[in-house]
Amino acid sequence: MKKGPAGLLLLLFLESLFFALVLVFLVVEEIIPILAVILGTVVLSFVLVKYERLNAFLQDLFSHYRKTAVAWGLIFVLALPFILHDSPYLIHLLFLSGLFAVLAIGLDFQVGSTHLVNFATAADYGVGAYTAALLAVNFGWSFWIILPLSGLAAALFGFLLGLPTMKTKTYYLSLVTIAVGLIIYLLLNNLSWTGGSDGIAGIPYPTIGGFSLGNSVRLFGMELPFQANFYYLVLGILFLEFVVARRLYQSKIGLAWNAIRDDEIAAACQGIDVTGSKIMAFYTNAFFDGLAGAIYAFNVGFIAPENFAFMLSVIVVTMVIIGGMGNVTGVIFGAVIMTLIPEKFQVVQSYRLWLFALIIIIMLLARPKGLFPQKTRQYA
Amino acid sequence: MAHFAEIVFIALMLSSTYILIAVGFTLFFGAIDIVQFAHGDVAMLGAFVAIILYGLAEATGMTRVLPMVVWVAGVIFFTLIITGALGVLFERVVVKPFRKAPLLMVLVATVALGIIIRESVRLFYPEGSNPQVFPKLFPQASFQVGSLYFRAEHLMIFGISLLLIVGMMVFINKTKIGLAIRAISQNIEAASLMGINPDVTIMITFFAGSLLAGIAGVLTGTYFNVVKFDIGLMGGIKGFSAAVVGGLGNFNGAILGGLTLGVVETFASAYIPGGTAYKDVYAFIIVIFFLVFKPSGLLGERVYDKV
Repeated sequence: MKKGPAGLLLLLFLESLFFALVLVFLVVEEIIPILAVILGTVVLSFVLVKYERLNAFLQDLFSHYRKTAVAWGLIFVLALPFILHDSPYLIHLLFLSGLFAVLAIGLDFQVGSTHLVNFATAADYGVGAYTAALLAVNFGWSFWIILPLSGLAAALFGFLLGLPTMKTKTYYLSLVTIAVGLIIYLLLNNLSWTGGSDGIAGIPYPTIGGFSLGNSVRLFGMELPFQANFYYLVLGILFLEFVVARRLYQSKIGLAWNAIRDDEIAAACQGIDVTGSKIMAFYTNAFFDGLAGAIYAFNVGFIAPENFAFMLSVIVVTMVIIGGMGNVTGVIFGAVIMTLIPEKFQVVQSYRLWLFALIIIIMLLARPKGLFPQKTRQYA
Repeated sequence: MAHFAEIVFIALMLSSTYILIAVGFTLFFGAIDIVQFAHGDVAMLGAFVAIILYGLAEATGMTRVLPMVVWVAGVIFFTLIITGALGVLFERVVVKPFRKAPLLMVLVATVALGIIIRESVRLFYPEGSNPQVFPKLFPQASFQVGSLYFRAEHLMIFGISLLLIVGMMVFINKTKIGLAIRAISQNIEAASLMGINPDVTIMITFFAGSLLAGIAGVLTGTYFNVVKFDIGLMGGIKGFSAAVVGGLGNFNGAILGGLTLGVVETFASAYIPGGTAYKDVYAFIIVIFFLVFKPSGLLGERVYDKV
């Protein structure tokens, strides 16, 4: 395909169309248009798989104008709080979506690239959140010192969890992670210094040079609710993780992970450090989970063991599977959609988990590689 | 040490429910090398099926007309059949399609199935999110041997478990169908060449395993007098853990593993100060210890990876 104004316009048009749909999905409250958007996405995903030439054409278009496409996307994402500035709740939902996207990409290091089904996301997340809460409430440290510390604490936990787990495989590995997740949950519930089942309250909002993130900001003549601060914060972390993930996947480490996924023994015979690679997937994931946990703790100001129960891990696994294992963009998409859908269907709020589980099974039967699967590696 | 004897008895009762669930895990893994993560929820379903059947028996007046032995036996018998059939249904819908797919698929699919079962009970059973009173199926008498108190209910639980476990052992080891199950667990292709229908045998295996889980649910309900939609989660993980500690795929191992977990939990609650809150923590530490240092379990064979 040749570069030209027509292609550029088409790209911008398609991207803007997509953003418009996202906005419709966010703002509209009626069920019918929302269902239409969801159905449209599923149909689109099937069309892309069915018509390879269309898929190839679109991919070509995007790789030609990668910089423009990314820039336009970034502008949209950064502008969202301005567009939605009078509905703080929607911005809060976007913040939560971002948080879950951080967790999902982290988990994808294991599930997607290495087929290690880790059910300890909630534990990593909890370790990060509790580290942050304890340091903030007991010592009054600044958020900006606590944030990396929480990440490191969770990474250390992930590393320690990884050590025994490396001796196990498949079901056994999942069992270890489930067991560790339950142990952490039970400990949080019963230990006195973590506040037991009452949790920890009174975590202050982070501040930057005297300005509290709990205050609204006036920018470009617009009043942004305080939720926007956290939205941008989580966006920053997400961006960092996105870059790390892309770089890892495209490096030898990502290749090693995929090799282990396809055949562990063959990978070992090729001289790949199987244990080292897997453990790396564990602590990289845990680090980002820890960051997400700290941000969550500082956002809500109150955490309890219930926030870190087994179900959270299952939900994050769902996001990875729905979005498309091994595809960072797809996983973000999965996380966003799985956070927004239940919020959109307030009527079916109590059917949330039931629907999630049903969707997982249908997806596994119909589209085992997710809505937007990992592309086959290409070497030029 | 009267106290000690009572604790041992409680440990045995707890162990027997773990064993009943663990046997299912071991049978399924032996037959087709999969772990059915929703198996604990099948046990929970068993308890609810029994509640519904009891309700039916009461509504139709059978509890008043028939002698207790007859209607209790009827309730338990149909609970076994229905839970077994549900187990087969789940295998057909959620396990079979993934038989040739990566392990990840069946793992995630059965975890999802567990959620569906759990949430279905919570959402669609009347007042499902609250604990449900479990009907008293067994005589409420209690009696004394020396300085020990026993409740008739508890003896019944223990007796029924023992009967079913031994019955299943005989079924697997002595009957022709049991032989078929053992054959497909050794080599499914070779077994089908010998005229064994693998599909039917797998269905029988799931029927047998799920039936035992169903009775585990009934017995848990009898012991605690209440059941709740989410008991299957912990029950399933404990049952799976028991099977792993004993050696996944090994029938005797499931028994040994169930005993280990039951004894650890009961004794931790009884003898470690403040141990009741942490009894599950001790149980899981034991499990992790086994997974790391003896992944093949107490009786399992060491498996070597082959290319």
